[in-house]
Amino acid sequence: MAEYRAPLRDSQFVLHDVLDAQSHYAALERCERVSREDLDSILDAAAQFSEKELFPCNRAGDEEGCTFDRGAVTTPTGFKAAYAVYRDAGWAGMTGDPQFGGQGLPASIRLLVGEAMSTANMAWTMYPDLSSSAMYALSTHGTREQKQRFLTRLLSGEFTGTMCLTEPQAGSDVGLLTTKATPNADGTYSITGTKIFISAGEHDLVPNILHLVLARLPDAPAGTRGITLFIVPKLHITEDGSLGARNAVTCTGIEEKMGIHGNATCVLNFDGAVGYRVGEEHQGMRCMFTMMNSARLGVGMQGLGIMEVSYQTSLAYAQERLQMRSLTGPKNASGPADPIIVHPDVRRMLLTQKALLEGGRALIYYTALQADISLYRSGDAQIAAEERLSLLTPIVKAFLTETGFECANHSLQIFGGHGFIRETGIEQYVRDARITLLYEGTTQIQALDLLARKVLMTQGKALLALIGEMKALATEASAGLPALASRLDAIADEWAALTMGIGARAAQDADALGAAAVDFLMYSGYAVLTHFWVRMALIAKSSADAETDAFLGGKIATAQFYVDRILPRAEAHRRSAEASAASLMGIDVAAFAHN
Amino acid sequence: MAEYQPPLRDMEFVLFDLLKADETWRSIPQLADTTRDLVRAVLEEGGKVAANELATCNQAGDREGARLADGEVRTATGFKAAFRALADGGWLGVSGRSDVGGQGLPKMLTVALEEMFYGTNTGLYLCGTLTVGAATCISNHGTPDQQALYLPMLYAGRWTGAMALTEAHAGTDLGIMRSRAEPAADGSYRITGTKIFITYGDHDLAENCIHLVLAKLPDAPEGTRGISLFIVPKFMVNADGSLGERNAMSVGSLEHKMGVKGSPTCVMNYEGARGFLVGEPNQGLAAMFTMMNYERLSVGIQGLGTAEAAYQVAARYAAERTQGRGPSGPVNANAAADPIVVHPDVRRMLLTARAYNEGGRAFAALVGRELDLAKYSEDEAQRERAERMVGLLTPVAKACLSDRGFECCVLAQQVFGGHGYIAEWGMEQFVRDVRIAQIYEGTNGVQALDLIGRKVVRDGGATAFEFIDSLRAQGLGDEAFASSVAEALDRLQQVTASIIERADADPALPGAVSTDYLELFALVTYAWLFSHMAAIAPDDEFGGAKKLTAQFFFSRLLPRQTALATSIAAPSSAVMALAADCF
Repeated sequence: MAEYRAPLRDSQFVLHDVLDAQSHYAALERCERVSREDLDSILDAAAQFSEKELFPCNRAGDEEGCTFDRGAVTTPTGFKAAYAVYRDAGWAGMTGDPQFGGQGLPASIRLLVGEAMSTANMAWTMYPDLSSSAMYALSTHGTREQKQRFLTRLLSGEFTGTMCLTEPQAGSDVGLLTTKATPNADGTYSITGTKIFISAGEHDLVPNILHLVLARLPDAPAGTRGITLFIVPKLHITEDGSLGARNAVTCTGIEEKMGIHGNATCVLNFDGAVGYRVGEEHQGMRCMFTMMNSARLGVGMQGLGIMEVSYQTSLAYAQERLQMRSLTGPKNASGPADPIIVHPDVRRMLLTQKALLEGGRALIYYTALQADISLYRSGDAQIAAEERLSLLTPIVKAFLTETGFECANHSLQIFGGHGFIRETGIEQYVRDARITLLYEGTTQIQALDLLARKVLMTQGKALLALIGEMKALATEASAGLPALASRLDAIADEWAALTMGIGARAAQDADALGAAAVDFLMYSGYAVLTHFWVRMALIAKSSADAETDAFLGGKIATAQFYVDRILPRAEAHRRSAEASAASLMGIDVAAFAHN
Repeated sequence: MAEYQPPLRDMEFVLFDLLKADETWRSIPQLADTTRDLVRAVLEEGGKVAANELATCNQAGDREGARLADGEVRTATGFKAAFRALADGGWLGVSGRSDVGGQGLPKMLTVALEEMFYGTNTGLYLCGTLTVGAATCISNHGTPDQQALYLPMLYAGRWTGAMALTEAHAGTDLGIMRSRAEPAADGSYRITGTKIFITYGDHDLAENCIHLVLAKLPDAPEGTRGISLFIVPKFMVNADGSLGERNAMSVGSLEHKMGVKGSPTCVMNYEGARGFLVGEPNQGLAAMFTMMNYERLSVGIQGLGTAEAAYQVAARYAAERTQGRGPSGPVNANAAADPIVVHPDVRRMLLTARAYNEGGRAFAALVGRELDLAKYSEDEAQRERAERMVGLLTPVAKACLSDRGFECCVLAQQVFGGHGYIAEWGMEQFVRDVRIAQIYEGTNGVQALDLIGRKVVRDGGATAFEFIDSLRAQGLGDEAFASSVAEALDRLQQVTASIIERADADPALPGAVSTDYLELFALVTYAWLFSHMAAIAPDDEFGGAKKLTAQFFFSRLLPRQTALATSIAAPSSAVMALAADCF
């Protein structure tokens, strides 16, 4: 199988040339300074680690999967060793509070280094990703004592974390959960209930696991307003910090899944387990939401990672595999056939991946930097960034995972029949990618979040601000790239009009939002990617090396491909989103199941 | 997993109400006995075999897979019994020649049967498909002796078929294959070479396995004109039909695959195996091509069948799973939550699958009708026209039904949320199983190129325009949709003409837009079909749902045509300009 190489050139292009990361980091307050050299060397180190430690055990992760035996989970060959390298290198504590052993780097750094790791081995990277979410919840909502006791151990990489939300009857509808928390005399709580789909819920990478559990106190209000967050360690931690007896939480099984076999998806039984409340009573959903947003960006990054690895793999194959002649005459006359990259339809599949991948990278990096501004700056800049972040998060999550899955399938298709064979490794990417459309809120949940909460509930404030920037960019690009600029200007106007139209219909018809949501989200993804492609093309074109540098030439050609061949999809989504909800709601429930 | 419900009502609707199959059959002496009652009975029985025999071992096929033990392939638990039910029930000979043991029923009917067999167990039914395909090939190109020897046994499923084309370096490009055939003194040949991806190359479902192998004779011309076709049986067949010694061929290994794990995908080694020439020397590919239209349509139907099965499970789950409240307030106020079918987007996903399945079913039957006319019509002009239509529509059916089949299986899986990702629900198996349909029998990229290059540009669009005109001539269907259909047909016509015109100056253009063109072609044809289905839908629950599904198709799926037309309007430079080192 092809090797994985982290795309450092493109990362640096986006960070430095497109987003001016140096100025960005220089303007942040309350966090460690990051110079250009720092940033490049951190990304380089993450690339090295991912290429050398994580990518080589990705296939084993899929083939062996995790094994379950009497409550214990064994991870696949190589996972434990890779984790030890990760822990010893200090990756876990990068963005943590220095008071508790962290390095105090801004939040974006975690997402950026997570890219290479997730690309090289998504199932493995979920273990530290889950820890990140737990760290986030603890550092935002935990007491000083809790931070001292628990957060330090996560930041050192000594323990990992989980998020325990889902129950068999409570998936997208978290309000239905029934796990109980009963107060004990010593101020702790006894947690009882069954949680499912707990990623990294049990494993052998570290001696202890800290579960963040949503549960109900006695007499809690029904629904999401009656949920409280608790931290439940797998092993008790004694006063001196050493590990004590086993808490009453057991893994009763792991799921057999379509993909991410290297990550243990656990059923956890809490049987009067000792838990510690995090945050206020009944405020668990709020605590969860703060970390959910960062987790959603993390899943968006998984989508991007899948695009990168499947693009690299299929590109290498398309350049090597000889099959048929080019329709415009042999391109490899001395060989028995031409490399399949000469065929227009193969190029279409490669370019589709490249356009979505590189556009997606610009989008998610930009969003990561907005997260920094929302955390480490103040005043209007902070408020604007928070609004922008909250608008873009569901787009990043859903659009990059939907297109990530699409790209993995293009990659498989380029391999023809060989793509269907496990040995080639490409079908693993399709199976792994599939989960990203489901967890951390399905595409449907993201779409409703975007349209209802982030757009209509705010009267489109954040959206209109972004549209204003798109139009300004269109003006800026109109001299150098007139064709691209006019497309950008048109889609910006159209996005606003589409939103107004849906808003007007939603006021009349309760079903209108849900009926339009997914099409609106996909439309928004294509619209915002147009913005980033025009930005990138403009920068590439105005560069002194535009004529001679293949990388920059590629940017301009790919931008053209994007607007010619990908952007037209937005039109179909717009028309579909503008259709009345009647054609969805008219059909009788019973008729669905009849033929 | 929930039970499979054969979509008999819709099948009958498509065959008889929409396509007037009985009129077609009455006009053809060889099919004149095929009555509506007969077809209904056959479909009902076929549905029972699918639901009761094939569906019940589908999951075992995935879990256990096929295994190789001591050089022999062993299939999963339940496969033998299920295959016997298929074979003994005569289901492999339904469209076979009646003079040699087949039942001589029309392709239009087998299209519907195949949907149910694929839908309930693709991994197993592939053995049936291969057997029917081998029989078709021998029937068209074999000598009378070969036909008499092999066809009855294949139709009866006592022996099965396998197709050995692909080699490790020769997939889409068969011309560069290396397997050799040396003439022997007795008039047979000795076949030597290694073939890969041989579906059901060996198994324990039947007594013998008849391979059709492509190989090169000594001094054969280069490329595709130097390939010959041979029958290579696993066990030699004596003149009296009894089985003799084992032939010099063996299974090297089985592939580990993403899906269809119940079906053994063999690496086959032919080590001087005895083979018998089929048809003329060096005409092997032509012999293969004659059955390729059947095979391609069949693979499309795999996509449809799997998507229908996945849809059924998702529709039932959506009615049962309670999660969240409806947008207009509780629908199920006594319970903690509403069934998820109240959510508009869940409905969008279900309706997308429903609409593509119903459109695909009608389209497949339409192609089946042309295949029947091409094979049986006594009117030469009608036969020739049908052959042109088969050539035009088959790549569309193969690619579109399998592409939409994958899309719909993914949507059905999405309805399940996280549970869709878990093996025990079976939804992810549908997705893994259906994925191969986009690849084998010519990848969908190859189908698109076949459509635009050989079927559209080569004759200056004559066949494509003939098809579009014939749709117009048959009317535009329901008055609610007629103007949309007219507009869609005009668009398809304009786009077709424009590609042909632009191809002169831009030779890479057809290849660059081929996939989008194929999808547009299918979408417009579905629009015509839906408008007609809506126009004749009866006033009952079935008809009401049909009209609403048509409404959904027009307002939510047909808009893709504008995206495709815009994308096709771009010059090929959008795809071809990027230098190889810039990727």
